[in-house]
Amino acid sequence: MGILLTKEIDNTVHDPTRPHELITGGQTFTSVTDHICGIVERPGAPKAWWISIGITASLAAVMFAMIAYLIFTGVGVWGLNNPVGWGWAIVNFVFWVGIGHAGTLISAILFLLRQKWRTSINRFAEAMTIFAVICAGIFPGIHVGRVWVVWWLFPLPNYQAMWPNFRSPLLWDVFAVGTYATVSLLFWYTGMVPDLATLRDRATSKVRKIAYGFFALGWRGSNRHWHRYEKAYLLLAGLATPLVLSVHSVVSFDFATAQVPGWHTTIFPPYFVAGAIFSGFAMVMTCLIPARRVFNLQNFITLYHLETMAKIILATGTMVGYAYATEFFIAWYGGNPAEQFAFVNRAFGPYAWAYWTMVSCNVISPQFFWFKKIRTNPWSLLVITIFVNIGMWFERFVITVTSLSRDFLPSSWGYYQPTIVDILTFVGSFGLFFTLVLLFVRFLPMIAMAEVKTVMPQQHWENKTARPVGDYHGTNPE
Amino acid sequence: MAHQHRDASILERTRLTLDGAHKRIVVVGAVLAVAGLGASWVLGQGEGDGMRHFWFAYLLNFMFLLSLSLGALWFVPLQHLTRSEWSVVIRRIAEIVSGTIPALGLLSIPLLLNLDHVYPWTDAAHMEHSPLLAHKAVFLSPKWFIVRVAVYFTIWTALATLFRRWSLKQDESGDVAYTLRSEKLAGAALIIYGLTQTLAGMDFMMSLDPVWFSTMFGVYWFAGIVVSFFSLMLLLTLGLQRSGRLEGLVTKEHYNDYGRAMFAFVFFWAYIAFSQWMLIWYANIPEETMWFLKRQENGWSTVGYILIFCHWLIPFAGLMSRFTKRRVPLMAFWAVWILVMHWIDLFWLIMPELSPGGVPLRPVDVTLLIGMSGVFIVALGLLAGNRLLIARRDPRLVDSLNFENY
Repeated sequence: MGILLTKEIDNTVHDPTRPHELITGGQTFTSVTDHICGIVERPGAPKAWWISIGITASLAAVMFAMIAYLIFTGVGVWGLNNPVGWGWAIVNFVFWVGIGHAGTLISAILFLLRQKWRTSINRFAEAMTIFAVICAGIFPGIHVGRVWVVWWLFPLPNYQAMWPNFRSPLLWDVFAVGTYATVSLLFWYTGMVPDLATLRDRATSKVRKIAYGFFALGWRGSNRHWHRYEKAYLLLAGLATPLVLSVHSVVSFDFATAQVPGWHTTIFPPYFVAGAIFSGFAMVMTCLIPARRVFNLQNFITLYHLETMAKIILATGTMVGYAYATEFFIAWYGGNPAEQFAFVNRAFGPYAWAYWTMVSCNVISPQFFWFKKIRTNPWSLLVITIFVNIGMWFERFVITVTSLSRDFLPSSWGYYQPTIVDILTFVGSFGLFFTLVLLFVRFLPMIAMAEVKTVMPQQHWENKTARPVGDYHGTNPE
Repeated sequence: MAHQHRDASILERTRLTLDGAHKRIVVVGAVLAVAGLGASWVLGQGEGDGMRHFWFAYLLNFMFLLSLSLGALWFVPLQHLTRSEWSVVIRRIAEIVSGTIPALGLLSIPLLLNLDHVYPWTDAAHMEHSPLLAHKAVFLSPKWFIVRVAVYFTIWTALATLFRRWSLKQDESGDVAYTLRSEKLAGAALIIYGLTQTLAGMDFMMSLDPVWFSTMFGVYWFAGIVVSFFSLMLLLTLGLQRSGRLEGLVTKEHYNDYGRAMFAFVFFWAYIAFSQWMLIWYANIPEETMWFLKRQENGWSTVGYILIFCHWLIPFAGLMSRFTKRRVPLMAFWAVWILVMHWIDLFWLIMPELSPGGVPLRPVDVTLLIGMSGVFIVALGLLAGNRLLIARRDPRLVDSLNFENY
């Protein structure tokens, strides 16, 4: 049996001649299965779980109440005004879609780039992706005003022979986010099939056996199953890779196709993608750092994993900083007074507080990750990743609201303020998100057991020194 | 695949240096340079436009070679930053390519002395009188332009030299400290690279039309840089192996990775190109669309269609399969194809500013490519010298030798 340590093992010491140990504590295949399945199989959830889900579900309920209030009353309950016709709803939509980017990046792009460390975090990140996309989908849906005809968003043939405007980026959003949600769900589920079968085989109650058995699709772990599984996984990774870029690119088109100063700039697509990955990784960290502590996963999600994620946050944060700088430079270089005003107004206008919040959280706070001490300390990571997401929410706020509130006609300038309904709806969406996360950690294996086992030293039988005492399962010491 | 562990002893079974061939390379390069540049000068005079076409073509081919060199300058620090294993056996080749930066700095001097043939902003009166230009008249003045170019080349030369020198020193001592040092510098190097490459692209190419601007421009050029760099790497590696060097060290697994990078960045290029075009087309703001309008009229749209099909769709389909990526001769074909396409891409970026009325392809465009490539080849030969073509004592060498694509 592996040794379950609750204290941190420092596997971040860098030695170019040796790879980092990805799974620590002398784990065997059995101990991995036992530990990960044990979390799900524990009879009765811990008290902390009940308290947490009580809070988050209440928040989610508040959100649904607010939505009901909105639908019965109309969008006047929000702080929208003229000229700011797009307020928190679009900000929250872009925020949540952005959060949803880490999952696909980890499962698809890092898979294609042979980043073995991804195996410990991909399942969790993919689950988070799906929950974030669910949260994101709510906002444009309720923003349309007459929610009962929201199906008009889809190009369905109907008796009125009415079609959506195919030239509108908002329609492209429907396709982009819809495709993304579908592929992410497929990817997540496909990757989970072998683990669901493990849970089925270990199940002691009939209900669990049937439930996990149903979703395990008759997986028996035969050679042929694995062969097809690997092929399907690779294909899905290939298909999902362009999606990582496309979704947030299309979201950025919502803004960039317009002529509004501060919105119309050609770097938006890759800049939004970098920002999305930035915020997505931050959210993965914010969720994983407490989870690894509560469920004693320090041997699976090690300090090295956290450090590597911190580096990706630093890299993508710097790309976002590059985009900010380019925008400012071209605003000056282009010589368009409206564009120049938009940027000066961002930094020094009535929303300067939001702008500087954004800059400090997005550009300055990740720079602390240049220091190894900071990026290997779970506490500082937790704090900084929360700041990153505050910053990324403000980025969308700054883009949306500062530009709209100062349009071409000074007579129609206005100041936008959210109402309590805006605030509660947004806070409630966190409730929904974390409720789904809590349900996930309770009922599904939060670490991809089958994948983690492929990066353990036992897998590399030619490497005798790395092999722990005994066989793969630790039951038969040599 | 049956997997047999390979250790560093297989290095003994092949040649690891040019073995004196660098002298022949230098001679061939010098002949090409003299013949190509000489012929171009004559052909340029023959154009009868006061050498305008010549200097535009010079800029075009200069940017082409600079793309290759900058690609290497991006690639080498990236390999250190990501602590890459697969690329160790071919990193020295990239280090040599990045070493050509000073040669390109030399090639930039004639251009800097003839800016007025190419850039409309050299006309100060024109700048002062346009409301869209007056504010950047100082920024886009020959003096500051030359200062900036000097700064870029100084920085690039310093970065290329540092990484290359440390790597060569490691050949002697095998000291892991050089690897650690390279890894330390890599992050900062890439940030500096990103900023200077963006600004250089804007300076050399975007400012050909001083009114026009696009925040995506630096990324667009970057996409072209990466895709053409990997193509060059594939051809150089293949050339070395065909002449009996690095045999058995670089395997088809490594070629497969070149292919993956080419495939990915062909797509990335298309993504960036489409985004830039679509956003400008959609918003339809005059000072932005005029740049694309110029490229959609008078025969230039044909070049645009060539790019859509031959820089994206055809290589995208051609490079998709693993079958192709593991067949080196096929990949050599695609590498040449992509290099040609990158040249056409730059042609499409630069030449409409010379001749909006029609596609001005002339022999001098090609002879200059030959002549300036000659200089590039001389630089490659001198840099490679009789030194090792592989980072022989890199701590990750054995991992790279045993690297496999599952």
